[in-house]
Amino acid sequence: MIPPFALEICVVSLGIFLLMAESFSFKTSKVTLAHGAIFGLLCVFVLSFWTDLPADGLQGSGFYVVDSLAMFFKRFALLATILTLILAIDYLPIVQRLVPGERPEAGTGEFFILPVFTCAGLMWMASAADFIMIFCALELVTISLYIQVAYMRRSLASLEAGTKFLILGALSTGFFVYGITWIFGMTGETGLNAIQKSLSVIPVANHTALLFGLGLVLVAIGFKIAAAPFQFWVPDVYQGAPTPITAFLAVASKAAGFVVLIRVLQPFFTVPAFQEKLTLALVFLAALTLLFGNLSAIPQTNFKRLLGYSSIAHAGYLLIGLAAIGDSFAGKAVVFYLGGYLVMTFLSFLVLVPVTKAAGGDDLAHFNGLAKRSPMLAFAMLVAATSLAGVPFTIGFFGKFFIFEAALNQGLYLLAVLGVIAVASGFYYYFKVIRAMYWQPAGDEAGPVPVSPLSRMAIFACVAAILVLGVFPRFLTDLLP
Amino acid sequence: MQLALFWLFSILMLAFALGVILLRNPVSSAMSLVMSFISLAAVFVTLDAYFIAVVQVLVYAGAVMVLFLFIIMLLDLRAEKRRRVRLSAWLGGGIVVGGFLSALSQIVVSLPALHVPKPDVSQPLANDVALVGFALFRNFNLPFQIIGVLLLVATVGVVLLSRKELK
Repeated sequence: MIPPFALEICVVSLGIFLLMAESFSFKTSKVTLAHGAIFGLLCVFVLSFWTDLPADGLQGSGFYVVDSLAMFFKRFALLATILTLILAIDYLPIVQRLVPGERPEAGTGEFFILPVFTCAGLMWMASAADFIMIFCALELVTISLYIQVAYMRRSLASLEAGTKFLILGALSTGFFVYGITWIFGMTGETGLNAIQKSLSVIPVANHTALLFGLGLVLVAIGFKIAAAPFQFWVPDVYQGAPTPITAFLAVASKAAGFVVLIRVLQPFFTVPAFQEKLTLALVFLAALTLLFGNLSAIPQTNFKRLLGYSSIAHAGYLLIGLAAIGDSFAGKAVVFYLGGYLVMTFLSFLVLVPVTKAAGGDDLAHFNGLAKRSPMLAFAMLVAATSLAGVPFTIGFFGKFFIFEAALNQGLYLLAVLGVIAVASGFYYYFKVIRAMYWQPAGDEAGPVPVSPLSRMAIFACVAAILVLGVFPRFLTDLLP
Repeated sequence: MQLALFWLFSILMLAFALGVILLRNPVSSAMSLVMSFISLAAVFVTLDAYFIAVVQVLVYAGAVMVLFLFIIMLLDLRAEKRRRVRLSAWLGGGIVVGGFLSALSQIVVSLPALHVPKPDVSQPLANDVALVGFALFRNFNLPFQIIGVLLLVATVGVVLLSRKELK
């Protein structure tokens, strides 16, 4: 049995080891580094099943919480990072072309090492039980992501994405810190547990000020999870960033935002005076996010941009789940949805990278005739798109089903109706990809699409997970906190 | 006396902060930012937080702002001076700022703490730096370590993004 905080120490040590290996062994190829990182993270993933959970959950003078939710999201972060690294190996030729260096592989080692540090930040976020800890971990994640988004310095799109992400990230950090100071000023505490205790004793006159602080924190997290009206950075950043990093942003950074949101809202939901107003705010956010994400995804022709809007839409479904958090099953539904979202989003990116390499771009038109050129990839994308849309017998169906069920149990009928309309428009834009692959003729010069063995394995694993959990969701729901 | 100085420096700080946004020349707005930081340090002194005041001057007014000025001087400034702000931008910004300010002022007025006589918080601390260090390395050790990792990542990133030709 190992103590839980050893997991993050292992991940950080792995990152430092890889940095050292990168600087002192000139002969090793950069891909070896990536394989080392994947292997190391897999080891930590396996180790995470041998940690002992303390009875009271709190450790490290109240900063660090170890419960089943934290453990689930630590494993989530590890898996997302491993999949990102697999994508990054495939994407390496494009990065090499767009990074200025003396030799082709110069400056590409860190492309595999930085995600490891981001992973450590994500794991700390999963365990953070104090605003100071949340802030530090969140900044570790965002600052390492700024670098990764702007990594391809010769590509103007990547630089533009990096700058936009940096400026809006800094703005949201400002909101976050300001909100924390208000909450600290009213309660005198930064620990979420201590805040919960003091919430029951503070005078009602201070409630408006507390809500103001909480609202600012909500705005900041809204930026991180890409909820409307704080979503305007998403399309440009997702399109310009290197594709593996887009996947990382879409999945890991959003999931971490949701963990923080669940943790921060928990103490406030115990007080009835706050619960009403918070639910109202979440319903409003969810409705706006669903409408915006789905409606603006419809006219998109670039696949990465389409996935960007679709990730806004998914944030909307997740927010429905959070608005219904009073229902006993809603928490599980949100976590289940995030698990499914990880698998299906990474699957579509695993298909996108080889297609981009073979066809030379990531527009929907580049998918034309994929069924002829590579039936395996086309089938994988078919599974991913149907699951993202929420067709039965895929994990995406049950994710949406559980969330709508929780919303109906809580009497949020309007939101559920809006969600169903959003699903319908989702069918339209996800099926555009399927139409391109199966019904559009391929271009003249389009040949077969090569896939590396490692990503072939990852694709098989994702397809299997989507289909198996789409028929037997109990396998995952039983594991959930 | 202390209270009078507190208000004096607070007003100075806000005035210079306004200067940062209102002045069109980037160098003068950076200089007002320096002055705003220094006034903030003075506010900290009037609150008996000497250590934070010193760090404020050393880190923000010293290191960060010098870097800022260097970067501004390397950039082309004329484009910024010529830039005109459109009416729609004024309106949009005005609505956000106005809403924010009105919410803020309502809350500040509604707080009961304003109508209660304040306790005397200023107790000169014997060893400010030692206490901060103690808190940092004992109570806040875990966040402190995370900041260490963060700085490592930031350093790697700066080298990656700023070198002309990577080796």
